[in-house]
Amino acid sequence: MAEPALKSDIKDFEDKGQWWWAAEKKRSKRLDYLRKAVWRKGSTGGAPISPIKLDLEPAFRWIEFYKQFKCEPQPLRTAKIMAAMWETDPIYIVDKSQIVGSKTPTPSTEGWEGAGGMANAAVYNYPEILPEPMEEALRKVHEVGQFWDAEGDGMSRLISMADPEDIAKFQSGAIAWGSLIGGYSGKNYEYFMTGKRAFEDIIEEIDQYIAEAEEKTQGVSNPDMLPLYQKIINWEAMKISLEAGIKLAGRYARLARIIAENFETDPGRREELLRVSETCRRVPARPPRNLQESLQYDHFIQVMARKEQPEGAWPARPDYYHGPYYDRDVNIEKNITKEEALDLIGEFLIRAYDMPVVLAMGKWVREGLQGIAGTWVWTLGGVDQHGDDACNDMTIALMQAARLVRTPNPTFAFRWHPKVKDNVMREIFECIRHGLGYPAMRNDPILIANAMHWHRHPIEEARTWVHQACMSPCPTTKHGTQPMRMASATANCAKIIEYTLWNGYDHVVNMQMGPRTGDARNFTDFEQVFAAWVKQMEWLFSLLTRTVNFARYVQSDVAPRPFLSGISQRAVDAGIDVMRPDGERGNAWITAFTWVENPDSLTAIKKLIFDDAKYTMNQLMDALETNWDGYEEMRLDFVNQAPKWGNDDDDADNMMLRCLKECARFSRELKDPSGNSWPILPENVSGNIHYSSIVRALPNGRRQGDALYDGGISPGPGLDKKGPTAVLKSCGKIDHITDGRAFLLNQRLSPTQLQGEKGYQLWRAYMKTWADLGIDHVQFNMVSDETLRAAQKDPEKYSEVIVRVAGYSAHFVDISRKTQDNIIQRTVQGIGS
Amino acid sequence: MKCSECGHEASPEKFRYLYNARIDSSLSMRQCPNCMEVLAVDELKREALKKVGLGEAPWGKSAGIENLAEDAGPGAKLPG
Amino acid sequence: MPICEECKSFFPIEEEPGKGDCVQKCVDARQTYFTARVVSADHDASRCDTFQKS
Repeated sequence: MAEPALKSDIKDFEDKGQWWWAAEKKRSKRLDYLRKAVWRKGSTGGAPISPIKLDLEPAFRWIEFYKQFKCEPQPLRTAKIMAAMWETDPIYIVDKSQIVGSKTPTPSTEGWEGAGGMANAAVYNYPEILPEPMEEALRKVHEVGQFWDAEGDGMSRLISMADPEDIAKFQSGAIAWGSLIGGYSGKNYEYFMTGKRAFEDIIEEIDQYIAEAEEKTQGVSNPDMLPLYQKIINWEAMKISLEAGIKLAGRYARLARIIAENFETDPGRREELLRVSETCRRVPARPPRNLQESLQYDHFIQVMARKEQPEGAWPARPDYYHGPYYDRDVNIEKNITKEEALDLIGEFLIRAYDMPVVLAMGKWVREGLQGIAGTWVWTLGGVDQHGDDACNDMTIALMQAARLVRTPNPTFAFRWHPKVKDNVMREIFECIRHGLGYPAMRNDPILIANAMHWHRHPIEEARTWVHQACMSPCPTTKHGTQPMRMASATANCAKIIEYTLWNGYDHVVNMQMGPRTGDARNFTDFEQVFAAWVKQMEWLFSLLTRTVNFARYVQSDVAPRPFLSGISQRAVDAGIDVMRPDGERGNAWITAFTWVENPDSLTAIKKLIFDDAKYTMNQLMDALETNWDGYEEMRLDFVNQAPKWGNDDDDADNMMLRCLKECARFSRELKDPSGNSWPILPENVSGNIHYSSIVRALPNGRRQGDALYDGGISPGPGLDKKGPTAVLKSCGKIDHITDGRAFLLNQRLSPTQLQGEKGYQLWRAYMKTWADLGIDHVQFNMVSDETLRAAQKDPEKYSEVIVRVAGYSAHFVDISRKTQDNIIQRTVQGIGS
Repeated sequence: MKCSECGHEASPEKFRYLYNARIDSSLSMRQCPNCMEVLAVDELKREALKKVGLGEAPWGKSAGIENLAEDAGPGAKLPG
Repeated sequence: MPICEECKSFFPIEEEPGKGDCVQKCVDARQTYFTARVVSADHDASRCDTFQKS
């Protein structure tokens, strides 16, 4: 129960918009303790968070087991190493907690497993994350590095098989963002999360498949039996992984019981610990029976999947899958009170907030995902498989719990549809008004149609969709789930217009990257410019998608995922590693970072050079060559005299549509490993800052060094001068079903204007316009300039201020000054005025 | 250009370009090579105006309806 | 030579004879927590800082 707090105190904090202090007063003692117990993960302003240290011991244990199982065939080797690690990993239980399980050896350390090059460079570059004494730590890092240099890890094997020129360009850091192997995952929730089956049931299914296959391999020689040998190996690997998961949960059960019987003196806490123990004996072995078991089951699966391989995203639909247990426990059987349920749900959010990826991962991750460990975008709302409203009491409880614990990560995205009830909309608005930056709003009917259009998912399956990363809908079904996000098909799209102007040459990394499309100084009409732009776009998207297709194709050989396979029906039924695309419909997309610079730059060239003839291509190239230095008046003309996207101006908006339709056309030519298309999805995370020094000066008036536009289709900060309705009208001109996979729109709203009932009604009217225009996404920052500036000046006092960066939220103090300034620069829109 | 903080003089290019205050404004932020302070620079006049500390915004408030400060177009005045 | 099995922090694992959990109560700047690490019952504990004879 919450500590007694004066209602007047809480109201005072809320009136001042000090939501973090109000939440502290409102939440229970347990939630307050657990929330403050978390050591932040991820990066601060692009550097690792310093109090967290690496534990180097797992790297040596991994090598020991690697040697022990070296002769086993893949993926048995992987499964056995993993099982041995899970049996010997240190585990912990935090006081007062009711949901257990972590990827880390202690609350303030992260385990380093040694293999996998990305983390390793950072281990050398950021010695502050190494444990003391430093000299010994560096010696250990060197020893592990030498072992894997000689042995070769999954990534190095993959790179050795790929096309060298593609890999060199891909790895240049100029055009692609992401990892070739895994990095993200999808989850087949419809298989393991509906209450029908858990690990023991799946093991039984696997045993049956193995028995049938073994019987066939005893028969008369036949080519049909040949694939069965590998299938048996795959099934055995899945079984070992699932059994290891049950054992790992059993270790938590044992620890909880030991604490209860030997350490704990408070009878209430002792009872809780025994319940935790019972819960961990039940799940994941058998299906959950109540809310606590359901949340624990889900959490264990997330921990185990991330122990198998780092996952940078968290596709989930917690209200849909936990809602029935909430309903039974709170409403029907009244086994727990609503407050007790909020304690469990709040802790469920905290446990996710506590999840690391890899502390010191590459610079591109730390800068591109500033302030967070990964994009944990959880999906709420939406319709069920019959098309009925899927919102339930758990939907509301999750949003209420989020306001109490105020974790920036996980973040919610809400599937809006016309049947959503007013009480749910009010909860959403409260979260936004409290400055959480979430839920992001998604247009369910549009996105279901989009999933059917691009990936041919049947409607009943499309309706199960969850966010696979920040934005892209992916079904949770057998054939619809995509097991990895294929993240490296993430394009730094501003390079398309840059290479158009520089004949495919990249003057930042000094390489001929794109095709030679001609010296821009010789372009004599706009169509020549646009034709060159199309060629550069086709080259960039081709290079990224063929590299990623290849990586996906070979991943089951170089880095299989027996655990993820074991919870994926397609893999279990077919006896294949889940990374193989067989039987999968595919759900690929190209993440288009730094997109809007393209149409805005093309519009400026068309208007000022070819339509008005105010400047020449030569003059433009001279100015760009010097980063606009000494050309300030001309630069301001390119900003202010050429129309910009987001003002309901047909000239600017038609350029956006022309570019998008070219991409959509080409997307249909590009095929993923399942034979489906690669539509584009403009969004940025904080890639607009990461790439700011990598992209040269552009004709939209941007200099090298300036932040790129922050959203996928958000107008440039300060360039949307006609108000929020004009922004929506521009965005509404895009066909959000056929022009791409999804389009991210950031908007800043005024907390002063949106106070009280009147504020809610203004926002509802805004959302109606948004829905009527068929826009698929919008998300809001609602924190005042005053608060953000104060937080910049006095970060310790404002350490809990949260902002929406792009597809995720983060603590304002954990992002770089440049990103902070970029968020403050965004236009504050007044709605309905 | 002369640093408003330490008085160091050099050509504008020697002051490291950091990023713009706003794309539609002639204000940018550059770093003095001598005292390393972040300076607000008027790119039209090629003049260092003042040091920009944490929590300060050379472009005033964000654009939009709050209208708490003027929109920073070309020639916008520097608050403070 | 003291061995883990003789320590107060050692809790045998029924399913795995010869092995046990070394359970420690820890406190950091933010929280109290309990850790468990699997050890062999006959593991040499002479260099263990937390050894306490049961």
